[in-house]
Amino acid sequence: MIGLGLPAVIRSKLRNAWTGRVWTGGNPNGTKTGLNWPTGIAAPLAMVAPALVLIPVLGLLPGLVHGGGFDLLAEFIQAAFSPSLDPLVLGSALKGLGTTVGIALLGWAASVLLGLVLALASSRQVWTSCCGHVWPANLLRRLLALPRSIHELLWGLLLLQVVGLQPAVAIAAIAIPYGALVARVLGDQLDGLPSGALAALRCSGVPAPQALLTALGPPLLPGLLSYGGYRLECALRSATLLGVFGLGGLGTELKLCLQSLQFHELWTGLWLLLAVMLLLETGLGGLRRRWLMPRRLGLGSPSSGSPRLEPGAAQGSGSGRALAAWAPAGPGLASPNPARPWPLPSSPLAPESGAGHRDQGRAPRPDSLGRRGREMVLALVVIMPLLVWLARAMGVHPLGLLHWQPLPNLGAASWASVLALPWPQLVGTTLLLTLVAAALAVGLAPLLLLVIAPWPWARPLLQLAWALARLWPPPLSALLLLLLLKPGLVTAALALGFHNLGVLGRLLLEASDDCPAPAELALKGAGVGPRLALLYGRYSGLARSYLAYGAYRADVILRESVVVGLVGAAGLGTQLLESLSSFAWDQLLALLVVYALLTLVGEDLSDRARHWLLAPT
Amino acid sequence: MAIRERWAAVLAGLSLVLLPAALPGGTPGGPSLLPPAQAEQPQGQAKPVLRIGAIPDQKPEKLNRLYPLVAAELERQLGVQVTYVPVVDYTAAVTAFRTGDLDLVWFGGLTGVQARLQKPGAQVLAQRDIDVAFHSIFIANTGSGLKQIRDVKGLTELKGKRFTFGSESSTSGRLMPQYFLAKGGVKLADFAGGAPGFSGSHDTTIALVQSGAYDAGVVNEQVWRTSLRDGRANRAKVFAIWRTPGYPDYHWIGQPNLDQRFGKGFSRKLQGAIISWRTTNPQQKQILTLFGAQQFSKSTAANYKQIELVGRQIGKIR
Amino acid sequence: MAEAPAREPGQPSPGLGAPSHDLPWLELSQITVPGRGRPRLDRVSLAIGGGERVALLGPSGAGKSSLLAVANGLLRPSSGSLRWLGAPPARSGRPRRRQQARIGTLWQDLRLIEELSVQQNLNSARLAAWGWPRALLNLLWAVDTAANREALAQVDLGAELLAQPVSALSGGQRQRVAIARLLRQDPELLLADEPLASLDPRLAAELLQLLLNQVTPRRALLLSLHRPDLLAGFDRAIGLRQGQVLFDQPACSIGPADLEALYGGDQPGFGP
Repeated sequence: MIGLGLPAVIRSKLRNAWTGRVWTGGNPNGTKTGLNWPTGIAAPLAMVAPALVLIPVLGLLPGLVHGGGFDLLAEFIQAAFSPSLDPLVLGSALKGLGTTVGIALLGWAASVLLGLVLALASSRQVWTSCCGHVWPANLLRRLLALPRSIHELLWGLLLLQVVGLQPAVAIAAIAIPYGALVARVLGDQLDGLPSGALAALRCSGVPAPQALLTALGPPLLPGLLSYGGYRLECALRSATLLGVFGLGGLGTELKLCLQSLQFHELWTGLWLLLAVMLLLETGLGGLRRRWLMPRRLGLGSPSSGSPRLEPGAAQGSGSGRALAAWAPAGPGLASPNPARPWPLPSSPLAPESGAGHRDQGRAPRPDSLGRRGREMVLALVVIMPLLVWLARAMGVHPLGLLHWQPLPNLGAASWASVLALPWPQLVGTTLLLTLVAAALAVGLAPLLLLVIAPWPWARPLLQLAWALARLWPPPLSALLLLLLLKPGLVTAALALGFHNLGVLGRLLLEASDDCPAPAELALKGAGVGPRLALLYGRYSGLARSYLAYGAYRADVILRESVVVGLVGAAGLGTQLLESLSSFAWDQLLALLVVYALLTLVGEDLSDRARHWLLAPT
Repeated sequence: MAIRERWAAVLAGLSLVLLPAALPGGTPGGPSLLPPAQAEQPQGQAKPVLRIGAIPDQKPEKLNRLYPLVAAELERQLGVQVTYVPVVDYTAAVTAFRTGDLDLVWFGGLTGVQARLQKPGAQVLAQRDIDVAFHSIFIANTGSGLKQIRDVKGLTELKGKRFTFGSESSTSGRLMPQYFLAKGGVKLADFAGGAPGFSGSHDTTIALVQSGAYDAGVVNEQVWRTSLRDGRANRAKVFAIWRTPGYPDYHWIGQPNLDQRFGKGFSRKLQGAIISWRTTNPQQKQILTLFGAQQFSKSTAANYKQIELVGRQIGKIR
Repeated sequence: MAEAPAREPGQPSPGLGAPSHDLPWLELSQITVPGRGRPRLDRVSLAIGGGERVALLGPSGAGKSSLLAVANGLLRPSSGSLRWLGAPPARSGRPRRRQQARIGTLWQDLRLIEELSVQQNLNSARLAAWGWPRALLNLLWAVDTAANREALAQVDLGAELLAQPVSALSGGQRQRVAIARLLRQDPELLLADEPLASLDPRLAAELLQLLLNQVTPRRALLLSLHRPDLLAGFDRAIGLRQGQVLFDQPACSIGPADLEALYGGDQPGFGP
């Protein structure tokens, strides 16, 4: 039961924690804890346990470091402080950035639209209320798993082969897998909504479409906006990554600069990209707070607050209830238990804890709902023509995507050569790469926060480092790491782990800032040091949702492992790039199928892990 | 305060959305995206544009210096509009040629064969004097313990070393070296880590071997010489251990439909223009110098039979 | 981390301002905490000695919580001085934490760590004294079972609860576990902010007795109370109104007139 589908590293740690425990008594009262997580595995430890993967990694590292690259690395770091300000360089970086942002925005918009339509089409509620059957929804859900399982980079490279080099390729490459993801998340949310309102409307004779819109629209909107915003951030990262593989924009420039070791020019692009990314994240964060949307990843979902306090809590804060009800249930998105009220500031003993103020700040004022609606419409009105203009400026012709070029007929497929590929090794390496990278990312984020806990000044530095990590497409980190490390699995895992650490770290920080932890304050008040107070007081409550998100992230990393293929010896990704450059369609097809299968299994395991972790006790 | 914060958030969001609009150029078509007009170019339109490209085998700044010169010169000679479209990797160049997004491409030996196989009717137009017998140079880090070797058998020294090729599809950086390695009895799995690396370009190979990331690598001779000359390659850290025998390499390939689009006899004119470049003309001299050649000469597909053979042997051509 | 000398319960605390009976355990002089409009605390001075049981009375908004927050070091006053066992709050981290370790607070919401077992929660009171190895071991193993069993026994709970997750306990059990945790901390100054506010009368009386019983000559108790009817076990009562001390006198001498002055018109009923 423990850790079904959790990365093996975590699982084994958890199991050790589990079996290593001495039970000081049975469970004489027969308490309700079917899952013994709260006692069996110390939650805060489970959170940092994945970082144990550092031990083998650090052990291997000295053997991997080669002396040569330190000069280059020093040059690289120095260049960070003196990016090239040459107008030509700046101009081309800005132009590239424009393309990247354009691709991200258009791809994102297309994916949200696509996702919304597909979500409706794959919702059981919609099908039941429209025609009484559920099977079309289930069928579509299964079908949607396929586009989702293939990384946007692969979509990009495949589309490039089929329709040639055109701006719409990068956009479609983002829109297809993202659309399927949005569809799944929204579909789950739709079906998770209480069906009472809908049934009531239908009973009173309201036609299906209107009933659906009225009953499901408003509760779905905040989740859609919140998740949509999150997807926009992802789209910016993806657009950069696609550029690294030649699909246009700043990524292309970054890669070329790095390959020719022009670090000053490289940093010009990096700083610009960082500025845009932070602007986007702050802007979206601001909107999220303004429109009272749920926090993206219900990390830090309620767990403190005794049951005894709950009735009071529920009536105490309208916002608490509203937030909980909106908590989306998508990948990594939240507790599956919307009935749980938000944790509330309850002790007046901590007047400066800030929690109270924050929650008060969130309480919707009577006029806020109407205002929110107006602003959303305004935003839509601004964005729509902008998207159209962008598409025209970039020369996007969606119809161009239908202009299929015939694939070259390069002789009969030779399945013997496909079978001759070292499959077990390829798959094994890919899985190992995923596990190591995931454990690094999941474990390091809380560990680093712990390390810097006593030093407030270190926090902005860590945030900057994480922002850079998010920003850096993994293949570029891999190339950079090659200046220092020998190629191979660990190098690839470090690159992948570093990137995802940036993503996870930010979420963790956000969640831990958002969720009041009275226990942490209490510990500090009793003279416990900042690190132990954080570990005991805050991580205890965060562990479940954080690990649940980590499980989702591991699934993402599996998909992403293709992008570090160019480091060599990195499993399926490496072989895929090789087959692509040989135009070996048969191998490519086989590799894609295997990849898709792996990611589907991975997704399933990660889902199970999440459900297990988030299951109400 | 709260209000100001909110507005800041809204403004931030808006400015972000508007950012692309504020950028210079109006057409944010990045370096490797085709300018919009070219994405679809209806045949028989008044002024077709000749789009030239090249495999990105070297530093981008060099490519960006060289090919606009080529475009300008061809434009002058042929009287049609010529633009240079950069691509990011070898495979993309082949694909862009197949999908008709590039009209005239400077291919390597292997990519040229791949392109012609994927686009029947494509014409081999010209090659440099040095391409008749091109060479690769095996290079090694001074700290690797490798020494200069005499013949192909000496390549066995590379077994157990960390080794990198250039691009997967490079003729001088991968295909022919792999062929010679096989001749010398070295399999790819014999390298440290069970596989060689692929740095992506010749310049990167030199940088990585020089840094010690790889013990050894292989690059095209012309790039190696240039790097030595301009000091990018540090003789104290990286040195040549072996020069391969000659083989045919780079060449210009044109689309099969050039005559239809640009008028009868256009491909012939194009070929004539390229092979007419001489060092006596200052403009053309600059181009030839950047190409590292004295002049171009006619070439035919037959010259690349050997490459195709090796490509099939190694599995890069199927 | 904080390697304060591990003090076992019952022993007199060594070092830093060791309690000598002439020094007050807690001393506030001229403490002011600004608030919106009027100050939350306005030049409050008081001193509490070892062995004293002091009740803090006053209407809502009188500043009881602020006073307790100042007393346990969470809230920094804008002016005035605070002394614990004769020493001002240390500025640097470690000495400050060593001081804090001697102040135990019973929070109204208890602030137990829901995800951990009773045993781990009880041990969390010792974290200030423990180093990392023991703190981590506590998350993996049953540490200090004997001491925890004893602490539970003092609050009339059985040792079989030790392995239970805190989230599985009943309301009354949770209150007792929180007090047992205080006992494990073994503080010299016990602060409690309306610990009885949401309890039924019988439980409230029991718990209050339990708290009062913990006061020894080397331990003082300051408890904010919303029900003047429960004053019986206290030595002293301090009345707080609009951020100022209205009275500070023996608990037995508090009469209806004092309460009338303190609460004004809205005097709380004497028990339900």
